[in-house]
Amino acid sequence: MGKKDKTMRKYLLRRFLTMILTVFFISIITFIIIQLPPGDYVTNIINRMVSQGASSPSPEDVALLRKIYGLNDPMPVQYMKWIEKIIFQGKFGYSFTYQKDAIEIITARLPASFVLSLSSFMFVWIISLPIGIYSAVKKYSVGDYVVNFIGFVGLAIPSFLLALVCLYVSYKYFGVAAIGLFSKEFQNAPWSVARVIDLLKHLWIPMIIVGISGTAGLIRTLRANLLDELNKPYVDTARAKGLPEARLLWKYPVRHALNPFISTLGWMLPGLISGEVIVAIVLNLPTSGPILYNALASQDMYVAAGFLLLLSTLTVIGTFISDILLALLDPRIRFQ
Amino acid sequence: MTSLDILLEVKDLRIHFFTDEGIVKAVDGIDMNIFRGRTLCLVGESGCGKSVACRAFLNIIRSPGRIVSGEMNYYKRTTDNLVNVIDIAKLPPKGDKIRQIRGKEIAIIFQEPMTSLSMMHTVGDQIMESILLHSDATRIEARKQAIELLDRVGLPKPDRLVDEYPFRLSGGMRQRAMIAMALSCNPHMLIADEPTTALDVTTQAQIVDLIHDLQRQLNMAVLYITHDLGVVAEVADDVAVMYLGKIVEFSDVHTIFHAPMHPYTQALLRSIPKIAIEREELDPIKGMVPSPFRRPSGCPFNPRCSKMMEKCTSVEPKITALGENHTVQCLLYE
Amino acid sequence: MLKLFKRKKSVVAQGGDTESLQVEVASQWKLMWWKFRKHKLAMMSGVIVIILYLMAIFCEFFAPRSGFTNNSKYALVPPQAIHLLMDGKVGLYVFGYTYTRDPVSLQRIWVLDKATIIPVGLFVRGEPYKLWGLIPGDIHLIGARNTEDPFFLFGADRIGRDVFSRVIFSARISLTVGLVGVALSFILGILVGGISGLIGGTLDNIIQRIIEILISIPTLPFWLALAAMVPINWSPLRTYFMISMILTLLSWMGLARVVRSKFLAMRNEDFVLAAQLDGCNNMRLITRHMLPSFMSHIIASVTLSIPGMIIGETALSFLGLGLRPPAVSWGVMLQDCQKIVAIANIPWLLAPAGAVFITVLAMNFLGDGLRDAADPYQS
Repeated sequence: MGKKDKTMRKYLLRRFLTMILTVFFISIITFIIIQLPPGDYVTNIINRMVSQGASSPSPEDVALLRKIYGLNDPMPVQYMKWIEKIIFQGKFGYSFTYQKDAIEIITARLPASFVLSLSSFMFVWIISLPIGIYSAVKKYSVGDYVVNFIGFVGLAIPSFLLALVCLYVSYKYFGVAAIGLFSKEFQNAPWSVARVIDLLKHLWIPMIIVGISGTAGLIRTLRANLLDELNKPYVDTARAKGLPEARLLWKYPVRHALNPFISTLGWMLPGLISGEVIVAIVLNLPTSGPILYNALASQDMYVAAGFLLLLSTLTVIGTFISDILLALLDPRIRFQ
Repeated sequence: MTSLDILLEVKDLRIHFFTDEGIVKAVDGIDMNIFRGRTLCLVGESGCGKSVACRAFLNIIRSPGRIVSGEMNYYKRTTDNLVNVIDIAKLPPKGDKIRQIRGKEIAIIFQEPMTSLSMMHTVGDQIMESILLHSDATRIEARKQAIELLDRVGLPKPDRLVDEYPFRLSGGMRQRAMIAMALSCNPHMLIADEPTTALDVTTQAQIVDLIHDLQRQLNMAVLYITHDLGVVAEVADDVAVMYLGKIVEFSDVHTIFHAPMHPYTQALLRSIPKIAIEREELDPIKGMVPSPFRRPSGCPFNPRCSKMMEKCTSVEPKITALGENHTVQCLLYE
Repeated sequence: MLKLFKRKKSVVAQGGDTESLQVEVASQWKLMWWKFRKHKLAMMSGVIVIILYLMAIFCEFFAPRSGFTNNSKYALVPPQAIHLLMDGKVGLYVFGYTYTRDPVSLQRIWVLDKATIIPVGLFVRGEPYKLWGLIPGDIHLIGARNTEDPFFLFGADRIGRDVFSRVIFSARISLTVGLVGVALSFILGILVGGISGLIGGTLDNIIQRIIEILISIPTLPFWLALAAMVPINWSPLRTYFMISMILTLLSWMGLARVVRSKFLAMRNEDFVLAAQLDGCNNMRLITRHMLPSFMSHIIASVTLSIPGMIIGETALSFLGLGLRPPAVSWGVMLQDCQKIVAIANIPWLLAPAGAVFITVLAMNFLGDGLRDAADPYQS
């Protein structure tokens, strides 16, 4: 067992370093994006002051403000300061729209995003694993055709369109104008056990909407891979040893097909988080989506950057965990 | 040859594949007897049906193939030295009874050890699986036995190897591991489906020797499938020559090599280049193996036969006995 | 290049059956076509995709009206179903409209009027147009025989524009943004993937790390962010290209990886070695030997990435961050559907969603079929 540990540790270290590097690069990209719109922090403050009735500051005042806020520093220095503030102080900057620290807005919304993404993720693999296996083993049966068809349909409907249609149906036929994550009383209430239960009661529709196209794709992947594996010689060997069919199925071909399944699953996370963001915008859920959208539309840059950075970090951590899982499962990966 | 010695008796076995393009008669009425302690080599070109036949003995033929008719009588010796005859052809392929034969009474090793072993499980795990399946051993005992088996097949550092994954081993080592796995329950018959075709010549010799030694130690019957007549000459006690699903000639190895009767056997032996004899050209068998969907009528070999007669294109030869241990399927002898 | 693979050879046996011994060799593309043909669903989808693109190219002809002219008289009329039989006569007909006035808003509320029958024809003369802005014409594939009569197969929107025509006009944008984006991805993918796969070593490693990083990014939030940066005052054409590039930026990696793995596998193939020994230089090696062998896989991958682009553009436009009016795409049309309460009684405004659905479904089936056919020897 010692050998397994050593290669595993080396692999873990490699992946961890890659993860840190990835987050670092994404932070640079995010920083560049928030510098793109015209004007900067000082311009925004001035605009706000002016719109509130204050007089325009003189050029000297503006220059002084720029110096105070470090906006005359070269870009790399500005970046370093921004990153330092995030890592060491947890401060993401200031929101012009809400006139609060960006961190407050982020913490109000990010947990719900996390919960929705995670639950969609759970939905995807809990549903697709048994259906994919069934569909491959009972090839050409009625169940297989139904599953295949639903799979293709699910693949073709982008999640935000599905959200739109669900919203329409729920309003037209059930008189419910909104699909949300909380009932009215709990919408802006502080976190409590009751709020969590309320969330769980409302979670399942958005969860399915976000997860369905991923489920469809994964079922097809699993079915295709399992069909491949079922034809391979090692299945003959196992059968020739006298293994019962059910045990044979799970121990060998499913086990082999599980690898592409899990790696596909892991790399679905960016897609699921993307899906969560856009579905949240369409359904106006209290998660990151709507806030990010508004922030981008109104150029509330620090809030936008904060969400971009954190959503990406969430994604990267998720894919890291899934890679580790894959390495645990597939001995060949560790030796690469 | 007393009846006590017979292990597997195959009578008129037919295996057909029901494909979209038509029915392929992969095995078309073969008779075979396999005896304890003896090696039977099943020889033939690619596509003659030898691999399909050997898979039938464990009933692991993949759809769309199916055993259509025939008997495969396995003579199982019980503890009181009595004999139980089980017709494998009648056992349901997914049932309990056939599973008691697979691995325990009859074991098989395949041609490509790379794809025939699971890459996700250690060598030890795959060997132990057989042991745990067919005996009462505990995991610790099974692991010990696995290590002993690896040692027996000549693998170095068996206590380390048992925890290795097959992709870390060389081709020859993998094949030895497969042999260890096959022998783990002391089967009475070992089917070796072209075990050395994928290996280089030196390793080939080692594996052939290994199987030979183990057979003698365990008094196993060995069904050796190959297209290499050199291997046949070395290991066979009996030889069955197959062509397009039929056994065209069956006899002991000396008769086959020195007094072959069927034109196909004769042509095969003639085509072997011999160092001692000087010749300008090779002497291949003319023509090609026909597509399984366009079988010649009458005797399947007739388009390529040097001794073809007119009736060969319309009459199918029956199996004729030429001696005590010599059968041939040819109209020349009927 | 394809002639390289066309060989016809026949081997005649020495006596015996000549017919069963003739050997023919089919070209790579023929094999692929034969295998593709077996996939009925993919064939059908292929036909649908071709029709869709024909509609996009010749949208002025296919659409009964222009996608832009409005007729506020007929705002929010419901869709008209086509009937084939009317009073015993076979032909194409739709029912006309009558309206009542809403007492509060004084707006017209249109309903179908079974008393009014409007004859419809194929290849009718209708609203004049200029195909691609160049060639004048006025024949439409389908339309009311009398140009004055209302003909709204999918109803009309708030300012009286024919939804059906707009869906067809949108196809021109929505379907081609996909193509431009995919073409860009294709070039990037082959370049980067090719360099990575052929040169290998450290450069390959670095490129791989970069690709891994890019793949980890959740695409939509960053598409939103980049799209939000596009200035509002840019012309539709400029915006169109900018959106294509933004979509490409985060999607080329998939193709690059496929190309790289193919090149890597190729390097060890014997036929490459044989070509090199024959004296091929690198360029010839790549274009004549390596590329043809995996071109089929590339085509399949490219086809499968088009739906992603279409969905991306639709999403961005739907959110107001992509194309903007007066440009029309399915996403832009769906902007009208943002307030669900408002469209509760106007479900036909969701028609573009159906168009997206059919397009994506057809392309997926087609791409699947191509991918299966790409390796003709695979079982």
